[in-house]
Amino acid sequence: MRAAGTSRSRQLWLVAVFSFLLVAGAFSQASDDAALAKDFQDRVNHYVELHKETGVGSKTSDSPDKVAQEKHDAREKIQGARASAKQGEIFTPRIGSYFKRQIAATMQGPEGAKIRTSLRHAEPLPHLQLKVNAPYPQKVPLQSTPPTLLMNLPHLPGKLQYRIVGSTLVLYDVASGLVVDFLPHALPPA
Amino acid sequence: MSIEMMKTRTILLILVMGLCLPGAAQNSRSQPATSAIAVQATGKAASGSNLDIRLPLEQHSVRFAVIGDSGTGDREQNEVAQGMEAYRQATGFDFVIMLGDNIYGSHAPQDFVQKFEQPYKPLLDAGVKFYASLGNHDDPYTETLYKPFNMGGERYYAFRKGDVAFFALDSNYMDPKQLDWLDQNLKSSQGAWKICFFHHPLFNEGRHHGPDLDLRNRLVPLFERYKVNAVYSGHEHVYERMKPENNIYYFVLGNSGKLMTHDLRDSKDRIKGFDTDRGFMLVEITNSKLYFQVISRTGETIDSGELPKQW
Repeated sequence: MRAAGTSRSRQLWLVAVFSFLLVAGAFSQASDDAALAKDFQDRVNHYVELHKETGVGSKTSDSPDKVAQEKHDAREKIQGARASAKQGEIFTPRIGSYFKRQIAATMQGPEGAKIRTSLRHAEPLPHLQLKVNAPYPQKVPLQSTPPTLLMNLPHLPGKLQYRIVGSTLVLYDVASGLVVDFLPHALPPA
Repeated sequence: MSIEMMKTRTILLILVMGLCLPGAAQNSRSQPATSAIAVQATGKAASGSNLDIRLPLEQHSVRFAVIGDSGTGDREQNEVAQGMEAYRQATGFDFVIMLGDNIYGSHAPQDFVQKFEQPYKPLLDAGVKFYASLGNHDDPYTETLYKPFNMGGERYYAFRKGDVAFFALDSNYMDPKQLDWLDQNLKSSQGAWKICFFHHPLFNEGRHHGPDLDLRNRLVPLFERYKVNAVYSGHEHVYERMKPENNIYYFVLGNSGKLMTHDLRDSKDRIKGFDTDRGFMLVEITNSKLYFQVISRTGETIDSGELPKQW
């Protein structure tokens, strides 16, 4: 009788310890994720400062020449300011892992099948050789980014957008047309 | 209108068609427009005519044209544009909504001339305004800032014509900010009619693309909650009029420059489809009805009808 009681208390104690570890682990993951999201935002904000410095604006014009010239100037200045930029400067390995977890969770969620269908229907792109701080190929269409995916990724300021090329997540600067950074294999295989 | 006035109007329209319809000035065209043209601008179809106007042309109505996937700069885009000008002179529409892929390929300054300014020059010269939405082939920066597209530097925006509220959306990048904006603007809109237009269709039955299901998931609840009347999309290079979904009218028009021949699959969800030539649409909105007419590159009326205001 007494042995049975001891065994039950031990079981309860083990369950309690296991639950505590699970909750603590979840808190720790959430806290890590928040820190990684903040790190990402800081890096992105640092990039967006370049837009202010280059004076890239939102003045409309009747003349496509003027708009094109403004874009060209912004591109040259940003490329000059980030001459040594490399893939992974914004999507660092830890930030990259965080993004992959977010994307995988979204794709495995209830909307996953619809997101995949949307990506298939959008106009999947041919294989592209992406390069950081280089222009996104002008004649290649930009694939749309599923809204549910966007809802689960950190907010982007200004004229930056997330775009998808194959399974790669691209951080794209609309104003200059430059690839800011990219994360290969961001989307899990179907 | 007196008989004399109607006669004069008919003669004038015959002349206009002779000058504007594709084929009239280009003998080398493969599918020339028929030369026997008689026009009744009274709203009824003229039998045996080419410039067949099926809009009622009521006073104080809102009239516009719709084009999608237009910006190729090819001969066919120019021919569609010529047809639009002929119908503008006959119907008096004064603006055009663009469903994306306004400029294909390169976006150098000369591309804006070749793929937009030149084809639509007669319309632009007549003061017709174009309101663009962005497609996946468009350059979001250059096009939003290009004044003739009337986007005011924004990817998504709203404008009003009479009692009709228009919402141009960027379906390439439907981020939470844009969804919030749409929610707020649909909610506060005082327009008796609400029209949304954007590139990727929510309902369509084309083989090449098909509907965007994730986008549909996000947008349809808003459209239904705020009683949107009609939705226009492009992307699939065909024309489709789908069966209304929960009372909302869905049109696909992605063949004003590009064409995906025989792209349509059989579907019971479609009322009318057209995938063998390019075209454009005319729309007239009165207090209680939306009238539409889809016209092919060669001047044939592909589809037309009147739709009651649902709410």
